[in-house]
Amino acid sequence: MDEVETPQTILQFAPFNSSVDEGFWHSFSSLKLDKLGIDDSPIPITGFYAPCSHPQVSNHLTLLSESLPSDDEQSSMESTSHGNRNKCPVPGILYNTNTVESFNKLDKQSLLKAEAKKIWEDIQSGKAVEDCSLLSRFLVISFADLKKWSFRYWFAFPALVLDPPASLVELKPASEYFSVEEAESVSAACNDWRDSNLTTDVPFFLVSVSSDSKATIRHLKDWESCQGDHQKLLFGFYDPCHLSSNPGWPLRNYLALIRSRWNLETVWFFCYRESRGFADLNLSLVGQALVTLSSAETAPNSVGWELNKGKRVPRSISLANSMDPTRLAVSACDLNLKLMRWRALPSLNLNVLSSVKCLLLGAGTLGCQVARTLMGWGIRNITFVDYGKVAMSNPVRQSLYTFEDCVGRGEFKAVAAVKSLKQIFPAMESTGVVMAIPMPGHPISSQEEESVLGDCKRLSDLIESHDAVFLLTDTRESRWLPSLLCANANKIAINAALGFDSYMVMRHGAGPTTSLSDDMQNLDMNKTKTQRLGCYFCNDVVAPQDSMTDRTLDQQCTVTRPGLAPIAGALAVELLVGVLQHPFGIYAKGDNSSSSNGGNIDDSPLGILPHQIRGSVSQFSQITLLGQASNSCTACSETVISEYRERGNSFILEAINHPTYLEDLTGLTELKKAANSFNLDWEDDDTDDDDDVAVDM
Amino acid sequence: MDMRKTADLFAPPMDPISDGRLTLEGFSVAARAFADKWKRHNQSFPPWSWVPLINRTLLVSNKQEEGYLSLEKIFILSSLEESPEEESLDVTPDFLDKEESIDHTILVQNVENEAHYYDFHIVYSASYGVPVLYFRGYCSDGKPLSLDVIKKDLPSSSVSLLLESKWTFITQEEHPYLNRPWFKLHPCGTEEWIKLLSQRSSSGGCQMPVELYLVSWFSVVGQVVGLRITLEMLN
Repeated sequence: MDEVETPQTILQFAPFNSSVDEGFWHSFSSLKLDKLGIDDSPIPITGFYAPCSHPQVSNHLTLLSESLPSDDEQSSMESTSHGNRNKCPVPGILYNTNTVESFNKLDKQSLLKAEAKKIWEDIQSGKAVEDCSLLSRFLVISFADLKKWSFRYWFAFPALVLDPPASLVELKPASEYFSVEEAESVSAACNDWRDSNLTTDVPFFLVSVSSDSKATIRHLKDWESCQGDHQKLLFGFYDPCHLSSNPGWPLRNYLALIRSRWNLETVWFFCYRESRGFADLNLSLVGQALVTLSSAETAPNSVGWELNKGKRVPRSISLANSMDPTRLAVSACDLNLKLMRWRALPSLNLNVLSSVKCLLLGAGTLGCQVARTLMGWGIRNITFVDYGKVAMSNPVRQSLYTFEDCVGRGEFKAVAAVKSLKQIFPAMESTGVVMAIPMPGHPISSQEEESVLGDCKRLSDLIESHDAVFLLTDTRESRWLPSLLCANANKIAINAALGFDSYMVMRHGAGPTTSLSDDMQNLDMNKTKTQRLGCYFCNDVVAPQDSMTDRTLDQQCTVTRPGLAPIAGALAVELLVGVLQHPFGIYAKGDNSSSSNGGNIDDSPLGILPHQIRGSVSQFSQITLLGQASNSCTACSETVISEYRERGNSFILEAINHPTYLEDLTGLTELKKAANSFNLDWEDDDTDDDDDVAVDM
Repeated sequence: MDMRKTADLFAPPMDPISDGRLTLEGFSVAARAFADKWKRHNQSFPPWSWVPLINRTLLVSNKQEEGYLSLEKIFILSSLEESPEEESLDVTPDFLDKEESIDHTILVQNVENEAHYYDFHIVYSASYGVPVLYFRGYCSDGKPLSLDVIKKDLPSSSVSLLLESKWTFITQEEHPYLNRPWFKLHPCGTEEWIKLLSQRSSSGGCQMPVELYLVSWFSVVGQVVGLRITLEMLN
């Protein structure tokens, strides 16, 4: 209308931006896994957008879980019927490939062209006038990696390129273009349009303003009825863009439509934007564009691949954290432990639990129970050492095994236990070692020497490479070498042993030749240094020998009451956790449940930390005991340890082959002779239960 | 004893609030009241909307409509920080070679400040008998935000509230209806402090009206996520 004197600038459009809700990928993954399989034919999808609603941020074209076609009749949880003002539907198409190579090889050029052609044809045929959302048709290519739960994708918003490009005569806020009355009427008409279910998601419309400032909004198809009765006629559209200097992308195909259907050279357009749910004429823009009419019947060129931070590369997203079932299991278990800390034990140190490496010597009734309880505490690193195979009588008492493990020749326990742990919690780091533990008092031939010494070395290495060792074997003498090695390496050792109806759980004291760090010495712990807690063998005046026949505490588990192993195994784990949480760790003093000054409860958030726990189910009773290390101990005394350090293998061989060697070494032989002659006063006797101290007189 | 049990069958419907806990019907009523007051008195925010759950089984006589409150796409602008999660895609950016020789009609935009969007849902927990606030955050392109990033968006007052209070902490759990992990303010302490709140506010032993339950609840919980109620809502 007006004279065009101002220099004409090329009309520049702000590109559309995509946004893919996590829910879309979840739904798409299900669709692919459940229904599509490797079928990679294109999928029709629906995108949603709304006019800009904030002066600083543009709106996006969004894909939600309901963007995918659903074949079930029941409406989904988030039902989106037509008439949602924030979700104007736009048709699109998804090309998903099955490999990343085929993703890269897609001919983007022709895919874009094909979609643009559809838009052109809809314009030509008039379909776009009937259903204007067709003007914003879009395209997505993707590659969904359903093993890694990562998704690579690329949007294209096909736009028909006008040649020569449209030029911009002027662009200003709508409030400056309209008079005050006109603006009021336009706002009201827009709000009505947006409030009605029938029109709220129609993104292109005609605004006609009569000479008496009354605005009317009509569908595009009512173009004919708009002729003549207006002073101003604008082409309105929902503009996702927020910029005051540029209109948004949907205007591109809109201009192509206007030029083609109605042969207009001058186009007044209205970029409709909102704020707080109402029309905002300050944010909305009115502009005048000039287009060159063209008689071309062929589809123009098209552009529209979305840039990723300015680069022509696809986008990607990894949703492993919310979709990978193993990760979900890990975070659920972590949450459980955190809840315990938040609600009950704020000073609980969970990091030490998740990083501790536990070595379980024995994968029988005790081993299985210990492993299960360790997992409950979030301990993830467990190694099993066991020589045996799962026998038919095992699964009912050994909680990691099932019937399948003993069918046929039977699986090795160490192997079956690892498998079981992984089935319970996939993130477990667990290894099984099939190995026998060398035992003193069971003499070996010279041919066996090499392999036995090899096993000793292996055991020693295992103990070195773990933080805590559980002695859960079924004989007394098989605990000797591990006890010695733990004392030598100063590793936490937890010992559990079962009688027919009684149990004993204890933690070994620190090794003899270790010294506390300087800080601890400053805390006046010198006394502790000389008062190491005892180990399993400190109590006993008899060296470990062949005991398979008549030692109550070490009979085969098959003749113990079934309730004992779960009790003892659980106590063993709670004792370990107590040690790990205690500031002094392996050096912690032993507490007694009876004594009031038995350890400072503030030292550990979990309560007291005893040295030994003994209980019975015949009495349903349990007591705590305290035993100091014995200088004559055959496993942890300074004498024995230094002899081991000096002579290594020959020491071990002698202990294995000569039944009295250890007693001679530690002076127990002398002691026994002396005891035979008169009564003795044990200085370190804090134990009440003399019955359990074996004295073989 | 038996007589009393039978009498219970004909007892009047449960109090919507008892001991800090809320019934399902109570929640529905309280939720509408809350949304209504919010719309009227808290116009700096968009309104909450009620999302009904379509009950597929007709076992429950649906005089009580199950649903939850939803407030979505609250956004804050945060400064564009390092985005290290962008795994190097090992793609050569020469995909669109011939075509798209620079089209001058496309505005070249600088990467602006990143907008973070938040969705909030208030969902009723039958096992705890209290409402629970679920939330999630995401970037403008849909990428979900991790808890570390979200914590940076929280007002500084709430971060200390989270650390000190033993009643408010954020956990990540499966959203009860959407089958995806959302963050939530764990509800295990809610009953306790709601009791305290209602004791303080009630005088002469009369109970907190159910219409105010969610308002009171949100006055505490909302602070953690930076959503404030206005004083008028408490009337």
